[in-house]
Amino acid sequence: MPGIDIAIRQILIVNAILFLLFFIIDIAFFRKKIKRPVYRGRLINVLITIGILTMFVASIKVFTWPLLLQIFLLNTVDLSILILATTGVVLIFKTSVTTNFAQGMMATFGAFFATTVVIRLMAKYSGSQTLYLFIGLFSGVLVSFLLGLIIDVGIIRRGRHVSSVGKQMITMGLVMVLMGAIPVIFGSNPIALPAFSIDVEIFNIGEHILVIPIQNLYAIVITLVVLVVLFTALRFTKWGLGVRATASSEMVASMMGVNTRVITAMSWAIAGGLGAIAAFFYASSGAQVQVASMVGVQVNAFMAAVLGSFSSFGGPIVGALLINLFSSIAPFYDGTWQVVIVYGIILLIVLAKPLGLFGKKTAKKV
Amino acid sequence: MAKMIDRQLLKLFIMLDERLTAKTLFYTQYQIYLLDTWGAIKQAQLQFLEAEHDKAVCHQAYRMNVHCDNLDQEIGERQKAIEEKFKWKLKALKQTLRRKNDRNPDQSNEHQTWFKAQEAQLLALKRKRLDRVVPTFHHKNDASDVSQETLRAIEAKEAAILTAKKEKIEARYQRKIESLNLRTEKKRERLTRLNQKIKGWIETIYQRHPKNDYDLGDDIILRLENLTMRFGGLVAVDQLSFEVKQGEIFGLIGPNGAGKTTVFNCITKFYRPAGGKMIFRKSPVDVIVLNDYPVHRIVRQGIIRTFQNVELVWELSVIDNLLVAAHSRFHTGFFGQLLHIPKLRHEEAVLRQKAMHILEHLGLQAYMHAIPYGLPYGILKRIELARTLMVDPKLIILDEPAAGLNDQETRELARIIRDIRDRHDVTIFLVEHDMGLVMDICDRVCAISFGKKIAIGTPKEIQANKAVRDAYLGEE
Amino acid sequence: MDRVMRGINRFLREFKAIVKHPYFGYVFFGMMFLILLLLRNQGMVTISVINTAVIVMIYTVISLGFSLLLGFGGLASLGTAGFVGFGSFLMGYLHGVKDYSLGVTLLLSLCVALAIGLIVGFISLRIEGMYLAIITLGLGEILRQFFISYDIFTGGFSGRSFREFTIFGINFVSGDGRYFNMVYIIVVIMFVLAMIATINIIKSPTGRALLAMKNSDSAAQSMGISLIKYRLLAFILSTVFALLGGMLYIMHTKYSYAPQWNLSFSLEILAAVIVGGAQSIFGIAIGVFLIFGLKISVLNYIPFFQENPALIVIFNGALIILVVMFYPGGLIRLLQTLKYIVVKRFGQLKQKWRRYRYGEDD
Repeated sequence: MPGIDIAIRQILIVNAILFLLFFIIDIAFFRKKIKRPVYRGRLINVLITIGILTMFVASIKVFTWPLLLQIFLLNTVDLSILILATTGVVLIFKTSVTTNFAQGMMATFGAFFATTVVIRLMAKYSGSQTLYLFIGLFSGVLVSFLLGLIIDVGIIRRGRHVSSVGKQMITMGLVMVLMGAIPVIFGSNPIALPAFSIDVEIFNIGEHILVIPIQNLYAIVITLVVLVVLFTALRFTKWGLGVRATASSEMVASMMGVNTRVITAMSWAIAGGLGAIAAFFYASSGAQVQVASMVGVQVNAFMAAVLGSFSSFGGPIVGALLINLFSSIAPFYDGTWQVVIVYGIILLIVLAKPLGLFGKKTAKKV
Repeated sequence: MAKMIDRQLLKLFIMLDERLTAKTLFYTQYQIYLLDTWGAIKQAQLQFLEAEHDKAVCHQAYRMNVHCDNLDQEIGERQKAIEEKFKWKLKALKQTLRRKNDRNPDQSNEHQTWFKAQEAQLLALKRKRLDRVVPTFHHKNDASDVSQETLRAIEAKEAAILTAKKEKIEARYQRKIESLNLRTEKKRERLTRLNQKIKGWIETIYQRHPKNDYDLGDDIILRLENLTMRFGGLVAVDQLSFEVKQGEIFGLIGPNGAGKTTVFNCITKFYRPAGGKMIFRKSPVDVIVLNDYPVHRIVRQGIIRTFQNVELVWELSVIDNLLVAAHSRFHTGFFGQLLHIPKLRHEEAVLRQKAMHILEHLGLQAYMHAIPYGLPYGILKRIELARTLMVDPKLIILDEPAAGLNDQETRELARIIRDIRDRHDVTIFLVEHDMGLVMDICDRVCAISFGKKIAIGTPKEIQANKAVRDAYLGEE
Repeated sequence: MDRVMRGINRFLREFKAIVKHPYFGYVFFGMMFLILLLLRNQGMVTISVINTAVIVMIYTVISLGFSLLLGFGGLASLGTAGFVGFGSFLMGYLHGVKDYSLGVTLLLSLCVALAIGLIVGFISLRIEGMYLAIITLGLGEILRQFFISYDIFTGGFSGRSFREFTIFGINFVSGDGRYFNMVYIIVVIMFVLAMIATINIIKSPTGRALLAMKNSDSAAQSMGISLIKYRLLAFILSTVFALLGGMLYIMHTKYSYAPQWNLSFSLEILAAVIVGGAQSIFGIAIGVFLIFGLKISVLNYIPFFQENPALIVIFNGALIILVVMFYPGGLIRLLQTLKYIVVKRFGQLKQKWRRYRYGEDD
């Protein structure tokens, strides 16, 4: 499409100027004259909101909103995957204070299991493919759930005195173990998972035509259901209260009678389950199931968690939304530099707000 | 514009001035350190020479059958060693006997005779060895007829040799010390000249833009003028002003949340105050405004603080922790450190010695090379105090020094704080909840509540003050 | 006689002083590696051992820089792979393609290291902890994308190969036996120099300042340690070491390929530092051997692992997990414990022997 790349360049330039403006104002005024940090925080928020809003407005202007909606709809599978993976990462960060590099591998394990189940079932019985896929999804989630449980009970719980970097190393060791174990268990050939449906639904909105693959609808619905259940659980159940208490301080929580062991184990298990759903959709939407297939998603999930701040559950989901938006628009400008543009924007935002978009600063007492 | 350039130049010059002063100080310290160490080495060498001399005389005397204590000792040692050796041999023999008896008990008589024979052999050998010890020290010719004159002559000769050697050593050290003094003097002269030049430049800048001279009274070291600090909407410190006199122990008290620690954090520039001035007397002639300095340069001005919860480096030994505190006393650049040039080693030696002295003074020499992790809390607090002394401060700020200590440790602490004040000529400014300690050691006390000053005076006056009582116990 | 004895004593004393000098261990280590090369040229050691040695040395150089950052500065960074890759491409492009001399290349890459270190250092002033680790991970990904896309500089997907280098006016061409030997010697020299530089930094005010910063920012500042200066310094140092490692890497393997500088390489370097012991130089060398060298030098020759190559990865992973779980201070702690046990056991044995020889004390 002609003109689009120029327009996107303009958007990027506008944003870069905004950030520069912020840093100049920050250095020129807040370091020297105005001594009230409150105003500074407000200014950052206002500027970032303006930046993101201009991006939206400008992209609607360039793409026209039906096109934008179309892009968004086509990317919903990626968005669901990213949101699920991010939620898993944040859940584990909250309870075990470490970034779980094995998140992707746990998910892949589940996806492999699910794929094997589906392929076996389809080879043996002739029946509804959707049913078998749901059975596969369920079994994959169960396996990842159990895997998460085993990992926590067997390894992480025993290494509680290890520093958070040490725990990172443990999860990295887990990555290697799983990487070696998956080919042994499931065979070394990459296997393909059939999609829920390869049909597309065509809507007419006014005079515009919108295309939605049915697969994406499945992904959206399942993700929404899972998220609603999870957030309800976090808000209203005893487990959710326990997670929040453990996140603020594990020692205090355990002294107050919260069984942090169960909380942590459940968090690992649920993170595994969430990852398995994500990997399942990743596999069923065209890509083959491979050992390293979730690595890219995982890196994006970390970035989303940082962008939205680790300290809340809602923030990372907004982060995931933004990353998905950036990375679906960026290829229109330049496909090869997509990663650079997206991560560059994230870097700038995080530089302006060091604890993420929704992070709150906890003052350290001197 | 010109004013701005001047201000930057002034900053630069003041920094250079600080550097040069510190460098000059270092050379003096290094000179003293070298003189000390050389003196010690010289003493040791001389003592060694004297011992050698005694020995030589003794040896020669012994050859002439003249009694000498020094040699008796040596003979005794050799004999002792032989005895020891044979004791073990005898033990081994007994064990062999026991084992033989165990193996075939019916031949125990034969074994007994065998043992007797062996033992006799061993004893004979031992006798022989022991007898051989003394004659080794004798001259082969029997020289019992040697006259006392010869002996005296020998002594005189040895004494002459000794004096010659001693003189040689003395002369060598004399030369060394002279050249050191010369070198240091030269360096110091050069540095002073440079310093004078920079001071001249600073003066010219001040002539162009006259400096605000704060009339800080001669006996006052720190003055806060309308210090204000806000966090968001909360006013933590409100228009606080007071003065700390030189050489006193000044206490700041107030109920929880009164903003005491905030005052400290403002003085040490952890927080940037929202208003007011903090004026500090760096040296008798030099008065500075602390607002102009960033947090890591406060310590160079002569202010150092301790923390409520002990903040030591847990991976380093106690003495290394003291060296961390002396960070601002090192002047070797990064590449010098990368290559470990001699200058760095000299600095390190000087500061290490200083740290040892401080630790000894505070009764911590037992923990010198220990890792602080796991030491008792009282000791940790004392290490923090020791750390403050590493930088020759003018003002020490103590943040709740008695928190977490028991009664006895608190009394000990009071003694140490007073001792430090008297010995090192510093002013001490402390925040404390333990009223006993405050009333015991403080010369003057300031009470604040909700960031406002409510009273200032001697401990007695504060105790009698109604406003203070109200602040602590609530209005009645 | 007396004079001779005194002379021998003096010699022994001086020898002891040399052995106790902190550099001796490192130089000795380097000498051992050189002897390995001699043995190889005599045909007594296989090529895989030499390759392991080179890889261990190069990655130790990188890990040493990283340990200054993590073990001393307490700053986690996951962008190492990008920096190492940058170094290798700089060498490949500037010396291999543009024909700049080695000195100029070194100087230019020093400038690049300075620039990267400054950028990351300034980022680290605002962002801290786990956030910093993930942001540097993002930086690493950006660099990798840059390598893949900017193919004039890096050769893109086909990679950048490196055939020859000139040092002191002598041209070493790959395929010639001298090339390999020369690279080996350069690597050993750089390895020893890097270890000595690291110990010098650790044992100087800079090292102590970094440790103080790791423990508490505010306490460090109150003792006159400037956070800006030392954060930047830590990042610049680690970047310099990483770039140097990359340059040595391309000299040794003669090939560098953009997608290989990915997250898992950074994680492996991190693992080597943690597993070995983040504050011990020899510990890091051990960790690097465990992570990178064990597979190519030992496990590949055990029949059981030859049959099941997947188990090698599992074995490595399990090893990392076990070491971190049971020895959070690193393998060097295990060695220290072993040494302690051996000394203690030796004492017990001595006692036992005495009791056997001389009987119970009367």
